[in-house]
Amino acid sequence: MNRDSTLVDRWEFWTALSLLAVISVGCEAVRNPSLERARDTYQRARHDPEVVGRAAVSLDKAGQTLEQAERAWTKEKDVTEAEHLAYIAEKRVEIARATARRRLAADEIQQLKSKRE
Amino acid sequence: MSRIFNADHGLMRWRKSRTWIIACLIILCALEISGCSMMGKPPTEALANAELGLRAASEARAAEFAPMDLQSAREKLEGSKQAIAAKRYEDARRLAESAQVEAELAEVKAETEIMRRAAEELQKGIDALATDAERGSRKSLSKGPDKE
Repeated sequence: MNRDSTLVDRWEFWTALSLLAVISVGCEAVRNPSLERARDTYQRARHDPEVVGRAAVSLDKAGQTLEQAERAWTKEKDVTEAEHLAYIAEKRVEIARATARRRLAADEIQQLKSKRE
Repeated sequence: MSRIFNADHGLMRWRKSRTWIIACLIILCALEISGCSMMGKPPTEALANAELGLRAASEARAAEFAPMDLQSAREKLEGSKQAIAAKRYEDARRLAESAQVEAELAEVKAETEIMRRAAEELQKGIDALATDAERGSRKSLSKGPDKE
């Protein structure tokens, strides 16, 4: 082994390493807008006492789907599945919001009926 | 690039390891893609759930009160069936799952709208009763002395 070959060795080594680093860091650091939006939508519902109080079960379902989406994104690195699950999670938050509104309306009806009598 | 390494030995080594780097890259790419292209079974359960959800939404009068969500759910169910026909089972499962959740949303939205309208009607009825009662009491107040 002369000096040249060790230089080459090092050069190759660093090329391979940096390529791998770029690929893996790229996967890790690339942000997924649909997942971020789902996270945001869910968090906003989590902080809405009306939703938490009247549609906790539906909101938990949304949270579970969001967790699945996070797992698909970070662990399985499955972009399509992560985005799909993020979409489902967002819809589930919408369902929770609508459920909360439905229960509010039901309570109102109850109150109005007792008021009428 | 090979000009950097004047020794033939170095050039050969570079070529050899370049093959390895390329091979590694190909394997990595294959791993990334394999998730999407794996063949599985047709998503019968997801499809059945979606169909059930759509029926429930229709029964809840979603066509009247949440037409957009219902329409979208129907289109996704249709897409899912087409994907099954084309043996794209992963796509079919995702479409069926989306259809199911959209149908559920349409159902809840329709129920909410019906409830909200019922509450409004009730409120109107109570308001009408109240104004009637008010008018009635005013009338009886103004006519009060005559009657007695």
